[in-house]
Amino acid sequence: MSLKSERRGIHVDQSELLCKKGCGYYGNPGWQGFCSKCWREEYQKARQKQIQEDWELAERLQREEEEAYASTQHPQGAQSLTFSKFEEKKTNEKSRKVTTVKKFFGASSRAGSKKVLAGKLREVQETKAASPISRQVSVETDRVSKDFIEFLKPYHKAGQEIYKQCKLFLEAMHHKRELSIEEQSEYTQDFYQNVADKLHARWKVPPEKVEMAMDQIEKYIMTRLYKHVFCPETTEDEKKDLAVQRRIRALHWVTPQMLCVPVNEEIPEVSDVVVKAITDIIEMDSKRVPRDKLACITSCSKHIFTAIRTTKDEPASADDFLPTLIYIVLKGNPPRLQSNIQYITRFCNPSRLMTGEDGYYFTNLCCAVAFIEKLDAQSLNLSQEDFDRYMSGQASPKKQEAENWSADMCVGVRQMYRNLDLLSQLNEQQERIMNEAKKLERDLIDWTDGVAKEVQEIVEKYPLEIKPPNPALAAIDSENVENDKLPPPLQPQVYAG
Amino acid sequence: MAQRTGWTEQASSCRDASCPKGSSHIFKVVLLGSSSVGKTSLAYRYVKKDFQDSLPTVGCSFFNQCVTLDAATIKLEIWDTAGQEKYHSVCHLYYRGANAALLVYDITKKESLEKAKVWLSELEKEFLQDEIIIILVGNKLDLSEEREVTVQEAKEFAKTKCILHMETSAKSDVQVTELFMTLACELLKRKEEQLQATHWKKSRINLQETTSHRAKCCQI
Repeated sequence: MSLKSERRGIHVDQSELLCKKGCGYYGNPGWQGFCSKCWREEYQKARQKQIQEDWELAERLQREEEEAYASTQHPQGAQSLTFSKFEEKKTNEKSRKVTTVKKFFGASSRAGSKKVLAGKLREVQETKAASPISRQVSVETDRVSKDFIEFLKPYHKAGQEIYKQCKLFLEAMHHKRELSIEEQSEYTQDFYQNVADKLHARWKVPPEKVEMAMDQIEKYIMTRLYKHVFCPETTEDEKKDLAVQRRIRALHWVTPQMLCVPVNEEIPEVSDVVVKAITDIIEMDSKRVPRDKLACITSCSKHIFTAIRTTKDEPASADDFLPTLIYIVLKGNPPRLQSNIQYITRFCNPSRLMTGEDGYYFTNLCCAVAFIEKLDAQSLNLSQEDFDRYMSGQASPKKQEAENWSADMCVGVRQMYRNLDLLSQLNEQQERIMNEAKKLERDLIDWTDGVAKEVQEIVEKYPLEIKPPNPALAAIDSENVENDKLPPPLQPQVYAG
Repeated sequence: MAQRTGWTEQASSCRDASCPKGSSHIFKVVLLGSSSVGKTSLAYRYVKKDFQDSLPTVGCSFFNQCVTLDAATIKLEIWDTAGQEKYHSVCHLYYRGANAALLVYDITKKESLEKAKVWLSELEKEFLQDEIIIILVGNKLDLSEEREVTVQEAKEFAKTKCILHMETSAKSDVQVTELFMTLACELLKRKEEQLQATHWKKSRINLQETTSHRAKCCQI
């Protein structure tokens, strides 16, 4: 059967083997019967067509969407700010994903950004979200805007002026979106400075109110800018985040004892407070306003102080605080740590970072992160070998301390440590047996060698002399000279009897 | 939680009651020195005395203290730092933007003075001479029988580096208030000089107004 089909294969007509396009070259079934050159051309054509179709479809969809939006927007007479943000995000995403499509949509996206500006200039209160998605996005922003306007009311004329300034600033920031994050940060810092100066000098706002107003302004503008300036793609922030996260994960084995943390987690109250501190530091990532992020850090620090105080029964100093904070960061592994630090540094009101309690705790957090990045064997009072072994996961310091840890461990973990112990014991035994087996093998080899050597020595000592074989040996009797003297052999005698 | 609110209230009451706003300047003071030389105790002693028993019970590494000198009221923000050797490499983050530094050493430990010298050289890298006020503080005067560092030695070192020198005892409260008052005076003097310099600049070159403003902001 197989033979038959093979033969049929061979007997294919010459024309069937050639390229379908008839260029004279041989075709290949893998290329659908085309030769390599024609296949490439055909394939390209098909792809182009596909892309073209996709574009057309995308364009149609975009047009339909725009029409739909226009019909919902126009009766209200206002382009929603939040909606435009949504739309702009959408276009951003599109352009990011498909660069070719971006070119194609160039004109419409430009129109979109114009619309965004128009939207930004309108009053926020009038906004009505157009789609469910944009409504979701806008809830917080809307609330913050309302709060801000409420807050500004008692300031009368100054309030209006502040509001206008913020609007102008946001608009300007929109134009600066293409610039580097450092320039955007500098611009924001200048804005803070200018507004604070104006509040002081022009509007004669009393100093304690300036501080409050600055907080509100920061809240208002940063809620809006957050999406664009937090962990921007143009920076290495994300990469650093991942690096720190990996580093902290690799350091999972660090115990409070190694860092000399004066916190005893076996006391239930202390471990509660430690959990609270960890929750606070993790929560930082969820906040949008730099000041709220700082508040999370401060709250975390207060919990740490409580924990130290409960353990030591005396007020904690910085000598105790920093190691504990490091321990909390290691234990919590807060998400996007570097991005958050960078974001706060760039966009927080500078007077808050350099001075004040929040600034102090923030600085401590920066120190903690810097320390974790640099952490080595020496800073944990470990030998380099131990450190390397723990880092590579070959050994865990917790295993040796299983007994000390058992208080706060669940049964499963304890069982695991016991098993680990057992395994390591077995491992040791096996190693011992292996060693002994090897030794035995060596002994055997030595013994054989020894015997061979001894034999050799003896052989050397008493060399074997092989004398030529005695020719006379065969005629053993010939040597017998006294043969003749022997009596004649007895002859059988017949006795008649 | 209750303790936390207690702390914030104190902080705000300090701002509002004893620190009339407007005339006040805020200065950041960092405490540097190896561990257990008495940095925290020094600050604790100074702040506690003025506050009597109203010191926060929780944290003890960040202090606010207002000082009234002649007409001006200034606020000292005292930042305690971790003195352990292993945190030395990250300590430069603490003294960013500081107006003054107290280099604390233990008079019964020669080694702690050497550490203070290391800190000083790092401060010199970070700041210009007139940007920061540095005081070398020999603490634990109550243990003067076990003294290893003579007054002479420390004074001479301070002189060569153009910094101030004082000896204190946080335990028996010797010279602690004086230390911080001296610091406050120096800070105010420096500030006034700077203000005058800016005024002078302002009157001459209008273009530099914004930049000088910004510089001022960063230092506060």
